[in-house]
Amino acid sequence: MDVELTEILEALCQHAPFNEIADDPQLNDMAKEIEIQYVRAGEMVIAQSALNNTLFFIRSGAIEILSKEKKLIRRMNEGELFGYASILRGGKSSQAMRTIEDSLLYRIPARWFLKLHQENDNFSDFFQLAREARLRAAMDAQNSDVSLMTCPVVSLLRRPPISTHIDSNIRVAAQIMAEHRVSSLLITDNDELIGILTDRDLRTRAVAQGLAYDTPVSEIMTRDPIVMDSGDYASEAVLKMMERNVHHIPIVKNGRPIGVVSTGDIIQKESHGSVYLISDIYKQTSIEGLKSISQKMTHTFTQLVVADANTQMIGNAMSHIGTAFVKRLLQLAEEIYGPPPVPYCFIALGSQAREEQTIKTDQDNALILSDKYDKKLHGEYFEALSDWVCRNLDECGYTLCTGDIMASNPRWRQPLKVWQEYFSDWIQKPKAEALLRMSIFFDLRGIYGDKTLAKQLNQHIRQQAQQHSGFLTFMARNANQRKPPLGFFRQFVLDGEGKQSRTFNLKERGIAPIIDIVRVHALACGSDKLNTLERIEDIEAAGLLPGGRAKDLALALEMIGMVRIRNQKEQIEAGEEPNNHVNPEHLSSFEKRHLRDAFHIVSRQQEFIKFRYAGKRS
Amino acid sequence: MSKHVLKNKKEEEIQDWQEMFAQWAEEAPEGPLKRYYQAGMIAANTSLKDAPLLALDLETTGLDPHQDEIISLGLIPLSSKIIRCQGAKYWMAKPEHSLNAESVTIHEITHAELAGAPSLNAILDEILIALTNQVVVVHCVSIERQFLLEASMKAYGYPLYFPVLDTMDIERQATFKPWWQRFGRRPSLRLDACRQRYKLPRYKAHHALTDALSSAELLQAQISYHMDPEADISNYWM
Repeated sequence: MDVELTEILEALCQHAPFNEIADDPQLNDMAKEIEIQYVRAGEMVIAQSALNNTLFFIRSGAIEILSKEKKLIRRMNEGELFGYASILRGGKSSQAMRTIEDSLLYRIPARWFLKLHQENDNFSDFFQLAREARLRAAMDAQNSDVSLMTCPVVSLLRRPPISTHIDSNIRVAAQIMAEHRVSSLLITDNDELIGILTDRDLRTRAVAQGLAYDTPVSEIMTRDPIVMDSGDYASEAVLKMMERNVHHIPIVKNGRPIGVVSTGDIIQKESHGSVYLISDIYKQTSIEGLKSISQKMTHTFTQLVVADANTQMIGNAMSHIGTAFVKRLLQLAEEIYGPPPVPYCFIALGSQAREEQTIKTDQDNALILSDKYDKKLHGEYFEALSDWVCRNLDECGYTLCTGDIMASNPRWRQPLKVWQEYFSDWIQKPKAEALLRMSIFFDLRGIYGDKTLAKQLNQHIRQQAQQHSGFLTFMARNANQRKPPLGFFRQFVLDGEGKQSRTFNLKERGIAPIIDIVRVHALACGSDKLNTLERIEDIEAAGLLPGGRAKDLALALEMIGMVRIRNQKEQIEAGEEPNNHVNPEHLSSFEKRHLRDAFHIVSRQQEFIKFRYAGKRS
Repeated sequence: MSKHVLKNKKEEEIQDWQEMFAQWAEEAPEGPLKRYYQAGMIAANTSLKDAPLLALDLETTGLDPHQDEIISLGLIPLSSKIIRCQGAKYWMAKPEHSLNAESVTIHEITHAELAGAPSLNAILDEILIALTNQVVVVHCVSIERQFLLEASMKAYGYPLYFPVLDTMDIERQATFKPWWQRFGRRPSLRLDACRQRYKLPRYKAHHALTDALSSAELLQAQISYHMDPEADISNYWM
């Protein structure tokens, strides 16, 4: 009779990667060759430099992996595997494996491991030795479903474009729109796209103004509209609509229009409504109205997570919504306090500037005033304006900054020349402790008012940073302040010295270190980008990092960011305030495994910048 | 629990199974059982680490060896260091009397499954070959020994004996404390309770092969805590 080792098979198939191949009939044959070993705590299972030809499965107990230097690399528990790296390298184990609890181990012969590894991609992916490749494969596998985030914009088109010639008058245009029941009309000349005319244009620019029916469309259309290429993602259309506050985007292929995507098309596809939320914000005339919209934000956020938006998408959407609040509040403030006496620019700092906001962030902002600013004459106006805006942002859920980095603080409401002095001082005479607090200022985006002021300041920062290499040394040191964890062990977070804790701050110890690393490189290569992924592209192009390493940072950021967002969504659903604290008990084994890889990438890159931007003294 | 607490057999208690096997080989009727005894047994001074061990478990229709019958039997070979799934064996045997509902619920073996199985007599020869030269590991020696003895009497008209390492008895000795050191109840000697003492995983009980594996793993843990692999097997067998 064929013996079936049910108990052993069931134990194996509860865990990756065996769960992937649970129905492979070979598994029972493999189980028959398993040997079982009981090892008491503190014994060496694989000694440093020992030849190993066994894949170990931890049935119960726990194992610790130590490096050549006897440094803790990892702790593993029930269901985890070890010994495969030495098998795959066909030789000695570079690390030592030791029991830290009484353990029951299954010994799987190398022959079986290599056979499954060769025959089954799902199985072999799991043992990918390069963390970067392992992480990439895992992320790719996650993004397989078709949603708004991954479908091309062309798939949203419902009909060929409806257009009229540039010489038509508005009555003819309205007739065509009525006939085809469309809310927008493309205006062309010899098949070339010249402009777009929408229902809103007819209403506000023609009827409301009392224009004659024979007015040419060219007088009221929007010239050179924002267009997208047919190959772009639908999600990018959403972002463009939010960014520019438009509701129609012509889609072109090889320069010729092939259709129009409207907000309606997108709502039909997926109703997360962040596009509408933004136009709603601009319609509000009272704080009460804005407050009631801000209460819908949590819903918009969870909808985006459910719709499988990636972190870049979500960060972008949340930042645009945040920016819309600021802009609308400033418009209302200018209605109350009158137009500004001298030009100014309201700037966002930190995550909002990088367009990486999540749900529930406090406000970090400042004001750059024109150099024509005179405190005696204009001080009162800008103080009142800033106080009003910051206070009402707080009302709308963007809580006051605990570090008082806000436009309402007179220190951060200064003319351009003072700001330039601030930065020259920080860059030329860096003090490590002060810079840690100041790093937020190096992500700076003008969002309202005279944006050339922000542009000029950013140029100044770039020039100064490139001229003073000592500054980069300080920034690199700063970027090493917050270390990611080593990994996880059971329900704990594990640190390098073997310290175990219940929760950890994913933002502080995962996301912030990556942003810091990328900022240093971005300053080094003079990138004018603010968004971390865009900075990474510039860094890659500048060749600051060895091949592919810049992309690894993007991968790690996406992995960690995704876990953070999912965690926040779960907190919201459980009726809790979303924050950045993650309890490993709430992480899946998939998340734990790949977070570990992401953390490792971050640690290595932290080491790299220490060396890359080492100062003369060190 | 200090190591090697179990090396305490007095000279006169030591059994020489090799000598006894030689005697039974003379007496046993011609056939599989005689051949089993003729194959012999390891010497009493063989060290524990060199002893060929075979964990065994039976499932039966009840607890009375005279009335109830064996319905399944699982075996798994091991040494003092390692359990080898390679040699695992499992048989089901069709009982002469029908199963009662109670035992069906314990074993989850149904009439239908047993209907196609051979009778115990038909597989006993194979079982004897598997047991040849082996020291048997069981949890609670009396059940396995008595049921197999009954089966052997029925099949061959002569008893089947084999040396045993009883993980229950080992545990009893290991957890033994004189009355003046005891607090409250004695520790449980059930297989699952013993395994938990060594942090071994919990299994679904009452499948003969799983239970054999279960006592094999328990023995490994007991050896690493209480027994001396260099000591003579005669210190431990019974």
